[in-house]
Amino acid sequence: MIPSNEQIAALVRDDSVHKSVYTDPQLFDLEMQRIYGQAWIYVGHESQVKNVGDYHTTRIGDQDVILVRGADKNVNVLYNRCPHKGAKLVAEGDGNVGKFFRCPYHAWTFKLDGQHLSAPLKNAFEGTCFNPRHPDFSMVSLARVDSYRGFVFASQVAHGPDLKSFLGGVITSIDNLCDRSPVGEVEVAGGIFRVMQRSNWKVFYENLHDTMHARVTHESSVDAARSEAQSLGEMPFELLIMDGNGEPYDFWEKLELRAYHNGHGYMEAIFDPAAAERDEVSKAHFECLTQAYGADRARSILGMNRHNTVIYGSGSPHTVFMQFRVIRPMAVDRTLVEIQTFRCKGAPDAVFDRALTYANVINSPSSNVMPDDVEVYARCQEGNMTRGGEWISMHRYAGTDQLLPDGAVSTNGTSELPMRNQFAAWKHYMTATLIATESTHAA
Amino acid sequence: MLLDRTFDISTHDLTPAQVPTDTLRGIEQFLYREARLLDERRFWEWDQLFTDTGMYWVPQQHGQVDPFEHISLYWENRMLREVRIRRVENVRNWSQQPPTRTAHLVGNVMIEGLDSQGLLVVSATFQVSEWRLEQRQLAGRYTYKLAGQDSGDWKIQLKRVDLINCNDVFANLEVFV
Repeated sequence: MIPSNEQIAALVRDDSVHKSVYTDPQLFDLEMQRIYGQAWIYVGHESQVKNVGDYHTTRIGDQDVILVRGADKNVNVLYNRCPHKGAKLVAEGDGNVGKFFRCPYHAWTFKLDGQHLSAPLKNAFEGTCFNPRHPDFSMVSLARVDSYRGFVFASQVAHGPDLKSFLGGVITSIDNLCDRSPVGEVEVAGGIFRVMQRSNWKVFYENLHDTMHARVTHESSVDAARSEAQSLGEMPFELLIMDGNGEPYDFWEKLELRAYHNGHGYMEAIFDPAAAERDEVSKAHFECLTQAYGADRARSILGMNRHNTVIYGSGSPHTVFMQFRVIRPMAVDRTLVEIQTFRCKGAPDAVFDRALTYANVINSPSSNVMPDDVEVYARCQEGNMTRGGEWISMHRYAGTDQLLPDGAVSTNGTSELPMRNQFAAWKHYMTATLIATESTHAA
Repeated sequence: MLLDRTFDISTHDLTPAQVPTDTLRGIEQFLYREARLLDERRFWEWDQLFTDTGMYWVPQQHGQVDPFEHISLYWENRMLREVRIRRVENVRNWSQQPPTRTAHLVGNVMIEGLDSQGLLVVSATFQVSEWRLEQRQLAGRYTYKLAGQDSGDWKIQLKRVDLINCNDVFANLEVFV
């Protein structure tokens, strides 16, 4: 039986959450409908489909979708399904379909916006209800598709806030990522890592702003980086980005955690890239941006020093090191992470080198940092399957956060504000009266 | 430093090399010994098989041209290899409890030729069974650049590991392949 809104609401308290939100497959199915089935979710970046017919496949919640560049140069987001027998029209991955989609099963073809183009031996349909102009015979587009500075989002319902209102204050992180280019544009470059976590998707979101875990969970990589630096007599960038997790508690308490509506937020940076002993990159980047924007604006762009940003339901951009960890829930206990790296158009090559190094060292499947995260997420998943208790605590600094018109800001950087904010959004999505699902096609 | 584009990663355009049978046997034994050091988690000894500037590379893309413009699963110099070793040996290595266990099978050893610096390029096929909580199978081709030593032994200037599923979805890769 589907739990009632009252039952779901009772799972989220102001300072704690019931463990079933991580372990109950039925709640996962509801999340796919009520969160991923409604919210704006990041599909991919326009630079992944540069030319007409280029496509990139991914998942929005439990739905296989295709990001494709149309003949009119616009990007479309379509469900990966042929309306004839249901076959997925393209295989997983990236490619180019040419001028139209052609189903590998019976050669039905579709324009790049999904509209029916042709089916072989048309006379066989004479006298039937087959109508190529009826939506039943076309690929289906997601209800709403919009793009902000090249970042393409889609929503599976026709109504609701527009993309900009949905993103709210967290849009400043997308702006800052793009503004780091002297021409204001970034592109996905250098390949995409994909990592599977054996845990619920929400654990990862919570961890992104969990300042209390860093020096505990990551002790092995912090120790390793520090002893290596000691033996080398210096702390190059590759080690510095591992060392940061080892800061003492009073360091984390001074950081700022910002929460916005809809579960979004950001965490102030823990790494100062200019602190790397040999770092010439920041200087060159600053000079480049000064030429483009003037010194004041260049200083303000590079001075916006944020660590992980959270766009709830989509993932986590890292503006300084030019990454986007896109979070795709696969099952109640399986989460796929796509790690995109961006090239800052027009910026010095060294800025991309640093992004690539950060992806390799921190975000890759072979990272020395992430395995300990992934391990503790899996332990939460398994521990929550035991009968050893029902509730998950989010009490830290509850009641002390400063409320703002568009969210809240922590008064202490170890506050569990981000978790409380994410679950407030979760509860809202999961219990709000559902927007009536309308046909995604105009009559 | 890590993205030093002067490092010669090319394993193509080689000049043919004549290798006596005894030398070939020595090279095969060198590769088997290397695999065994990994299987026995004797990582510090394994690392010593590399030259001071030697690199360990696992591309993320089939036929990847270089590690400079594209992500790599591993692109590690001595510093990063040592960091990895120090981490997996740390007592608070939560993700290595229990530790990863491996069994390498190395075969089809072939002499490919000499690179422009006179380093011997050797390739081999590998199968690795890897266990940590669950078992997985990794497979592909190794390509080595080997530097002959005065002692008659070899050192690794480059170990390139081309996995058959290099661009796949991965659970964590914690130890060297």
